[in-house]
Amino acid sequence: MTTFRKHSSSSFNFAVHLSLTTQSRSMLVCQGPGIGSVTHKPTWALGARTKKWLLADVISTVEFSHSGDLLATGDKGGRVVIFQREQENKSRPHSRGEYNVYSTFQSHEPEFDYLKSLEIEEKINKIRWLPQQSAAHFLLSTNDKTIKLWKISERDKRAEGYNLKDEDGRLRDPFRITALRVPILKPMDLMVEASPRRIFANAHTYHINSISVNSDHETYLSADDLRINLWHLEITDRSFNIVDIKPANMEELTEVITAAEFHPHQCNVLVYSSSKGTIRLCDMRSSALCDQHSKFFEEPEDPSSRSFFSEIISSVSDVKFSHSGRYMMTRDYLSVKVWDLNMESRPVETHQVHEYLRSKLCSLYENDCIFDKFECCWNGSDRSTYSCAWQCSHLGSTWPGAGEGSHSRVWSSGPGGRLRPCSAIMTGSYNNFFRMFDRTTWRDVTLEASRENSKPRASLKPRRVCAGGKRKKDEVSVDSLDFSKKILHTAWHPAENIIAVAATNNLYIFQDKAN
Amino acid sequence: MEVQKEAQRIMTLSVWKMYHSRMQRGGLRLHRSLQLSLVMRSARELYLSAKVEAQEPEVPLPPARSPDPCLHPPREAEAAAEAAPSDGEQPSPEPMDTQEAPRAEETPARCAQRPAKVSRKRRSCSLSDGGDAALVPSKKARLEEEEEEEERASSDVLDRLQPPPAQAEGAFPNLARVLQRRFSGLLNCSPAAPPTATPACEAKPACRPADNMLNVLVRAVVAF
Repeated sequence: MTTFRKHSSSSFNFAVHLSLTTQSRSMLVCQGPGIGSVTHKPTWALGARTKKWLLADVISTVEFSHSGDLLATGDKGGRVVIFQREQENKSRPHSRGEYNVYSTFQSHEPEFDYLKSLEIEEKINKIRWLPQQSAAHFLLSTNDKTIKLWKISERDKRAEGYNLKDEDGRLRDPFRITALRVPILKPMDLMVEASPRRIFANAHTYHINSISVNSDHETYLSADDLRINLWHLEITDRSFNIVDIKPANMEELTEVITAAEFHPHQCNVLVYSSSKGTIRLCDMRSSALCDQHSKFFEEPEDPSSRSFFSEIISSVSDVKFSHSGRYMMTRDYLSVKVWDLNMESRPVETHQVHEYLRSKLCSLYENDCIFDKFECCWNGSDRSTYSCAWQCSHLGSTWPGAGEGSHSRVWSSGPGGRLRPCSAIMTGSYNNFFRMFDRTTWRDVTLEASRENSKPRASLKPRRVCAGGKRKKDEVSVDSLDFSKKILHTAWHPAENIIAVAATNNLYIFQDKAN
Repeated sequence: MEVQKEAQRIMTLSVWKMYHSRMQRGGLRLHRSLQLSLVMRSARELYLSAKVEAQEPEVPLPPARSPDPCLHPPREAEAAAEAAPSDGEQPSPEPMDTQEAPRAEETPARCAQRPAKVSRKRRSCSLSDGGDAALVPSKKARLEEEEEEEERASSDVLDRLQPPPAQAEGAFPNLARVLQRRFSGLLNCSPAAPPTATPACEAKPACRPADNMLNVLVRAVVAF
């Protein structure tokens, strides 16, 4: 129940084993072992030789599929790029685990709403994969107003030998058809097609911030600032409104919905977070309109930390259920909180992401960084073991959660070869830093996603930020942080220790080398 | 004084941000507008509380006020609470205008200034003093800005606005003149202020009663 305390030890063994393989921008195929840093797309400025990146290349969402073999990214230009993990190959034993581009398609285009005279951005706000039920893959991608269901399928055979048309597709002359034949399937180069199967439009007045697929695999929710709608995947012309917090008089508006998610196992339970830092859990069985919450999670404000901007920084930017469904995690501007669904009064854990920014809130307000919406993610849930990756020397904390283990399926061995459950959470920060918190051992680490500081196949070095006073060697001082380099979107492989980190227009994929 | 300056600076900045957010692609973001208005309100409270501390205690305003909520837009309770005990200036049309000039340096640039013509309606609801006139919502300004910028004002918003449009148009020249004067005063005093927005596009005053009222900007702009 206590706030996470930083351990002063410098041995962060998890970081030691993360490796990165860089690769050139023009080639999107990984060259080395492990996984590579992949530039999201070619970023040459028009007409110029300099490598300037375009605003449309900024990655706006990252999501692993349920199996982890596919990784989807969406960007501000409305494009979706899907990476696929290379299968194990005896001829190239080191290439296992590389992610290469699998498919690229334009998901959303800019639109213009004539009635309201405003442009609808094509930026992809969220991508959510559907569980795979056939050879094809399905994902939902959304911009501010419209959600689309995309089918990504492979085609590696082609029918040849038609009677009525020749190989080019032109119709054959009827006089030349003298015999009948049955077309036969012949192999062709693998082609990946993406086609929009459903378009769910015109249901949101405000900007969509979240989508979440339900555990029944038939419905999903979409949330905007004031309403949450429930859709059926097969029905596009109507949706059910299940949460509506719009006041009768808009002048009385005090909070908006910032994120929403379905429970991973209970298809009637959803949570949504608000700009006031509260989370509401709703049960759809209680009533058709879930304006009355079943549970209300709010941490009482610490009066000593109240400041001018405390209302803004308490806004929850992301909420994620743990894989077990017993816990949920919320991200506000300065911290990550883990909540037990059975306790509404306060979170069970609070991890400070970048507390050194608390004194800089005014400058962050000036450069708009205080409005950044960071996401957070849990580690995978598989029981895959890996040896000696972490040194799980338990700090003997009073936190009771070390034994629960039901959601922390990643095991690691400590001294003596004992296996322990490992639960970790990850979130981004500025200066291309991202943070990982090991909930079992109470260790945290700051890592950097950048080309300059990551050599191929080298391990990531933990970074430290010096909040004040004398700056030690290798520390970065708060004033030298680059606030334009922010990591808002991260994703963790559902089964293994592979993470994807989006740093503006670059995508970094790190893997635990101990595998 | 430092606190006042800082609060004023933040209010100016918020105004600029709110104006700028309107020009962004994708339209106005409700969450962002809400956050900006929260900051503006906090800055305003800070400014007023600093001002209260700075001023000498004056004769409190006469209690015989009859605020008629039907006729007048609501005033914020905190402005009343802070302005009433501290500022004893009688709110009257003429002194308000003349007092604005010397206070042009102090008051926040945010609000459209009330033209003298309209202030007679406000006498009964005199929760603001002359110096803080800019902080109190201006009925004219609001109507003016709504007409100019947001064609999609909702019906309940329009219902609340009592003065007929003819009166508003008549008041517009005064409004523009006063706004210009105020804005130039502000720009002179804070060189870091953002580039001038046209007065008509000025963000609306963020003065609402303490109980859950946001600024007019949110109301008018988000009137889908």
